[in-house]
Amino acid sequence: MKHDLTITPLFMNAAGCLGFSPDLHSGVEWTRLGAFVTNPVSLEPRSPAHGQRFHAYPGGFLLHTGYPNPGLTQALRRHVNHWRRSPIPVIVHLLGRNPVEVEKMVRRLEGVEGIMGVEVGVTSQAGLVQVVSFTQAALGELAVIMRLPLERAAELGQAAVQAGASAVSLAPPRGAYPAVNGEIIQGRMYGPSVLPLALKAVQELTRLGVPTIGGGGVYSHQDMDAMIAEGALAVQLDSVLWRYAGIKLFT
Amino acid sequence: MKACIACPPVAIPKAGQYLLASSGDEAGAALGIPIFIAEGCINGFWTAPPIPNTWSPGTNLDLVGPLGHAFTLPREVRRLGLAAMGDTVYRLMPLTESASQAQRSLTLFTDLPLPSLPASVEAYPIASLAEALDWPDFMAIDLPLQRLGELRAMFGLVDGSRLPFPAQVLITTPMPCAGLAGCGACAVPGRRGWKLTCEDGPVFDLDSLKW
Repeated sequence: MKHDLTITPLFMNAAGCLGFSPDLHSGVEWTRLGAFVTNPVSLEPRSPAHGQRFHAYPGGFLLHTGYPNPGLTQALRRHVNHWRRSPIPVIVHLLGRNPVEVEKMVRRLEGVEGIMGVEVGVTSQAGLVQVVSFTQAALGELAVIMRLPLERAAELGQAAVQAGASAVSLAPPRGAYPAVNGEIIQGRMYGPSVLPLALKAVQELTRLGVPTIGGGGVYSHQDMDAMIAEGALAVQLDSVLWRYAGIKLFT
Repeated sequence: MKACIACPPVAIPKAGQYLLASSGDEAGAALGIPIFIAEGCINGFWTAPPIPNTWSPGTNLDLVGPLGHAFTLPREVRRLGLAAMGDTVYRLMPLTESASQAQRSLTLFTDLPLPSLPASVEAYPIASLAEALDWPDFMAIDLPLQRLGELRAMFGLVDGSRLPFPAQVLITTPMPCAGLAGCGACAVPGRRGWKLTCEDGPVFDLDSLKW
């Protein structure tokens, strides 16, 4: 059965921000979200990154975690029942090293009750060929969202949709910052300072007619409304969910 | 600098637990910050330093928690060693409060500036830890994650050997998701795979970690 991408209410969490499945005992009002996006899942297990993994700066922070996860087999074992019982549709975020891995993972998720779609990540250096091949590998019963590097989303977005993606979403931009010891830390950027970049990307994508899930630096209703007003079909919330440990979910 | 936080009793963390604190005045702040108890006070508790320099008397805070696992001292502990190897001794100070009631002797090992300590607490530099292993019957340690690898040398232990007493360690490290996401930023090497400081800690049995 082919799943359509239906997100009501118009916002959801970003991948990596609320765990692998909705915790029904956490106090989070899950029905305030239109969908739940899982932490990134790879075919094989991944360990946490070495070295410094977090660095705060005015307006945000850098995160370099390596996307640790137990691999698809263990993720299914631990979370498939939670996905089936989820009060909101689940979108599984996939990290594949190549199209073959993406296709393998998608096939194993098809038919799992509760899963509406997959969100497929590509590297920050991904070109048109990678985006198209990963999109085509993911096509099947589940809706496909391609998560594109924010800085180059306008360049890659049309290709993703023409290859069959239902929508695109925006990965956190990458940056570098000097640590106290003089080392340069690299990682994904989060925080209110990301919003101007993210909103510009949404504007560019929607002008091109690309169905876009906005996100990045959204910290208020005003930020969300701005993304929707610029044509985003939904909005992803990332580190704002951590500020209040998820309890105050836009009350 | 410490701060006195007024809050309901149910919100007061135990030694080693944390609250996630956010100020509504910090519109541009990306995350809340974890705060730990240093000692109790009327209507709340004193936090251990550091606190944000944007906080001032009267600042309203949103508090979530208490979160994480606290220090748990067996009742039969009589000689408690404390080792403060991070940025403050204050996170260990709540463990001194019930010492006389529990008939416990206390020794603090640290190179940090000392607050006024109870008379029952003796203080020594960290360098004397290796010579003092025959004294404590339990140790509570506070150290940043990046110093976990130094612990064995500080105790003067060779690879593979263990402490002659049980110990717990409060690991301090950034915990951006505060247990909500398993983001991995606070991951600590455990004997059986990775552990997360934000939800499996911040206080760990030392034996459960790879150190």
